[in-house]
Amino acid sequence: MSFDPARVAMEPAFVLHSTPWRETSLIVECFTPHCGRVALVAKGVRRPRSALRGLMQPFQPLLVDWFGQGELRTLKTAEWQGGLPQLSGKALLCGFYLNELLMRLLGRDDPHEALFGIYAQALARLAAAEPLEPVLRAFEVSLLQELGYAPPLEREADSGAPIDPQAQYLFELDRGALRVVVPGGNAVQFLGKTLLDMAQSRYDDPVTLSQSKQLMRLLLGHHLGHQDLHTRRIFQELPLL
Amino acid sequence: MAFHLLQRDREGAGRLAETLSDALETIHHCVQCNNFSETEICDLCATGERDPRLLCVIETPADLLMMELTRAYQGLYFVLMGRLSPLEGIGPHEIGIQKLLERAGDGVTEEVILATNFTAEGEATAHAVGELLRQRGLKVTRIARGVPVGGELEYVDSGTLAQALLERRPASP
Ligand SMILES: [Zn+2]
Repeated sequence: MSFDPARVAMEPAFVLHSTPWRETSLIVECFTPHCGRVALVAKGVRRPRSALRGLMQPFQPLLVDWFGQGELRTLKTAEWQGGLPQLSGKALLCGFYLNELLMRLLGRDDPHEALFGIYAQALARLAAAEPLEPVLRAFEVSLLQELGYAPPLEREADSGAPIDPQAQYLFELDRGALRVVVPGGNAVQFLGKTLLDMAQSRYDDPVTLSQSKQLMRLLLGHHLGHQDLHTRRIFQELPLL
Repeated sequence: MAFHLLQRDREGAGRLAETLSDALETIHHCVQCNNFSETEICDLCATGERDPRLLCVIETPADLLMMELTRAYQGLYFVLMGRLSPLEGIGPHEIGIQKLLERAGDGVTEEVILATNFTAEGEATAHAVGELLRQRGLKVTRIARGVPVGGELEYVDSGTLAQALLERRPASP
């Protein structure tokens, strides 16, 4: 039986964001493995006694049924799947960051099954109170790779030669890593080891941690365009109070 | 609503417009609790009968009414008039967090009770506000959650039950 996107049942899903719709409903942006990001109208869920009211929260694994065509489908039912402790504290703020990245970079109805698994794994790591930065970096790298935006991290641009962990590299957004031949210059440089570590999701080296943050900011910034992420601004504002 | 009134009930529309414009002129935020008030300090803050060492933080004026219905709380309130909503760009400057920090730092407040919603956004707000208040040396608590009073486990949703299990406490002897 083929997959019918107009009538979907028991599809795993995470709520990315929801906004009120009319008097008692919500428009829920969900991330699913087989349909990617979909917008569902959840009718009547803002009524006090709605059984689905408490379920339409981010960071909880759900199974959802929906029907309809076009940009806005109708949520039929949702079931709590469990197995993931609720995010709290800083990890919760990081969860919002992941969701904003998906909302901004993932188009609607563009399935990325592997990315769904990567996202679920990132949430599980956040819920397990793992150090936050490595989880965020690994997710950012995988996200760009899955969307086809990531330049290769293990080979030099143009020549295709393997990255030398000891050498310094410049990173050109459309091409990739270029070995620094003449030292100096204004452009930000990255150690070859940083790029190799990122390709392997290894973030135990503090140099890798700080350089990868810089590099991902550069790469993400390129794809996000002029409008910076709300979550990033809010993270910066909070400690300043 | 505006169109409906203009078409069907022009007189009602006029009254509504008048009421709204009166409200805009006379209703401000209480300088202490940030709730809507017609006076500089609202009635609740002005009574002098509440325990000034306790400050309960809620998201909206409706939440304050619900808390009052419990008749279980004798302290004062602070109404944020919103919650952090990172994806909508609602950060600490868009809601009353700065005002809350000033209010809670009055030297009289000892404990701040966080009673924001148990939604992802309400939890994020509680976390951020809690951190900022703790840094200022205040005792910070969060209202408990779990199975509702009179609730039978059979009818409680799985998320609530899972959280109640995680946040279990020693049984009273
Ligand atoms: Zn007041």
